[in-house]
Amino acid sequence: MEILVCLKQVPDDSVELHLKPGTQEVNLEGVTPVVNAFDTYALEMATRLKEAVGGSITAITIGPEGAKDAVKTCLAVGANQGCLITDPSFEGADTLGKSKILAAAIRKLEADAGKPFDLIFCGREATDKATGQVGPQLAEALGVGVVTDLVDIQQTDAGVQAKQETEEGYRLVDAPLPCVVTVNKPPYDPRYPTIKSKLAARKMPIPTLDAAALGGVAPGAAGSHVVKVYEPAKRQAGVKLKEETCEETVAKAIAMMADAKVL
Amino acid sequence: MDWGNRKDILVFLEQKDGKALNGALECLTPARALAQHTGGQVLAVLMGTDNAGAAEKVAPLADGVLAVTGGDYSDGAADAFTWALEQLAAQYEPAAVLAGNTPLGREMTARLCARLGLGSVQDATALTWDGDTPVWTVPLYGGTVLNDVVVDTLPVVATTRSGAFAKPEAGQAGPVTPVELQVPADAVKVKVAQAVKELSEAVNLEEAKVIVTGGRGMGSKEQFALVEELAALLGGVVGATRPAIEDGWVSRAHQVGQSGKIVAPALYIACGVSGATQHVSGMNGSGYVVAINKDEDAPIFDVADVGIVGDVAKVLPLMIQEIRQRKAE
Ligand SMILES: Cc1cc2nc3c(=O)[nH]c(=O)nc-3n(C[C@H](O)[C@H](O)[C@H](O)COP(=O)(O)OP(=O)(O)OC[C@H]3O[C@@H](n4cnc5c(N)ncnc54)[C@H](O)[C@@H]3O)c2cc1C
Ligand SMILES: Nc1ncnc2c1ncn2[C@@H]1O[C@H](COP(=O)(O)O)[C@@H](O)[C@H]1O
Repeated sequence: MEILVCLKQVPDDSVELHLKPGTQEVNLEGVTPVVNAFDTYALEMATRLKEAVGGSITAITIGPEGAKDAVKTCLAVGANQGCLITDPSFEGADTLGKSKILAAAIRKLEADAGKPFDLIFCGREATDKATGQVGPQLAEALGVGVVTDLVDIQQTDAGVQAKQETEEGYRLVDAPLPCVVTVNKPPYDPRYPTIKSKLAARKMPIPTLDAAALGGVAPGAAGSHVVKVYEPAKRQAGVKLKEETCEETVAKAIAMMADAKVL
Repeated sequence: MDWGNRKDILVFLEQKDGKALNGALECLTPARALAQHTGGQVLAVLMGTDNAGAAEKVAPLADGVLAVTGGDYSDGAADAFTWALEQLAAQYEPAAVLAGNTPLGREMTARLCARLGLGSVQDATALTWDGDTPVWTVPLYGGTVLNDVVVDTLPVVATTRSGAFAKPEAGQAGPVTPVELQVPADAVKVKVAQAVKELSEAVNLEEAKVIVTGGRGMGSKEQFALVEELAALLGGVVGATRPAIEDGWVSRAHQVGQSGKIVAPALYIACGVSGATQHVSGMNGSGYVVAINKDEDAPIFDVADVGIVGDVAKVLPLMIQEIRQRKAE
């Protein structure tokens, strides 16, 4: 099975981000760029599928030169090849623009390889802006079906069957290939690279594709614009209780809760 | 904002078991604000095999209900829903199309925008106005940064966060208009083969007044029972962090956070929870927060009104005992 994984490089989401004081600019100093968590889940699911049915995984991202690192990370844990899609004109592209660029890149990679992708994986959302739009919009741009928020996938005679969690259980959704799927957190964690796989990934070439290579694709004007960037009113930290004994601490806490009329 | 000839606001109401979801009904509130600016009507859109029950409940909350039938509009039929929404957008030429920010709402609006070449906002938590222009507030980076965003294309497409807007007051019931939309075969690419009900319990975190949440610090399924006991004692609902769920202590219907439920109870008690952004972003709208953690430096204390530094195994039984006594008095 020919599998494509679309990934985004985002600021490390275990770090709490804030604005530079007095500005509308997010302070990313010292924050490591990482592969979007949901894309790592997507890659892991894709890798398990590949291991089950055979095939190859290509990892692609739209981003600056530095996003090559994100592709490298993927090459160390399941992807067979990857490329970076980069062009100054792609900066500021909205989700619709990105889905157009990704669709053009997919067409180009398919033409170069002489074979189409069967299955395209995206994350459920990127942890930075969490819009969750790119996957479904990519499916529309390609004119193929989409199943969102999977936690499992299996090959079937007619294509794939995707497991989608619902409020009260799950749904099994049949999709013919090719199609796009977006991945939620499955019941397992992504694997870690080994030293050997890391070294091998470091040596692999990561070709780049720019707008010209993609037939002059342009993201088009964004459909929305930001008028203000700010931080929410912070919750005031209250009191921290640590008395001599646990009994005293609890008594004091309960008294405060009673005073606040929340009991 | 120049709305052209566009006036009406379409609100897609997702249903479950013949009832519109609360998160969807809340969406009628920003829709009302928009309609006041455009001079149009709030039209609630129901799609299903039988919309009668839901339509009756929704009619007093909107100016009109469009009850769409005529195809496989069964649970999870995202292709059919998306196609029908596209038809309604063409037919009614609305000023805005809104939906709750559920997986279905997100997918449908994303695909509608792709088909019509539109911008949109997702997970909006507030609607303000710059003159006649609607300005949406959306959270970034798990909620530590907010963006105010203007959608530049028409219709304005937005999904709203569950719990962010109050449900509208009931008024005079608007008319229910049956709309027959036969879904063409080529509009449906994927099909639900099976829907399985696994979780029998109804967990209503969004409407809970009290939530007691257990994290990894609860240590075991047996000890997690203390969280359940305290929740029951306070007439509240049990919440959980992702690790507590992944360890199998409680079902995923209880997850609070970025990939779980966004909650805002009057009282939130976090037990053995570290306070990762992905969790805090789901509960920092709570009224009064109590945190129990043995680590004095746990970030959860930064958002707690009362922080108890201690071992949950000791603190929780004492709390339960003390509250029981107070109740008895
Ligand atoms: C994309 C993404 C989405 C996510 N979505 C969510 C989400 O929706 N919800 C969510 O909760 N998480 C989510 N997470 C996970 C999140 O990042 C944290 O890992 C998680 O919230 C931590 O859960 P925890 O506080 O229970 O565990 P830990 O971080 O391990 O904290 C356990 C705490 O318990 C304390 N403790 C230990 N023993 C005791 C004791 N005996 N008595 C008292 N205190 C004790 C420790 O001091 C510690 O602070 C997400 C992560 C990612 C990457
Ligand atoms: N710059 C990008 N390059 C490649 N894929 C992306 C990019 N941005 C988003 N995606 C994909 O789309 C998913 C959803 O992203 P978003 O719509 O931004 O929340 C991500 O998990 C990725 O799979």
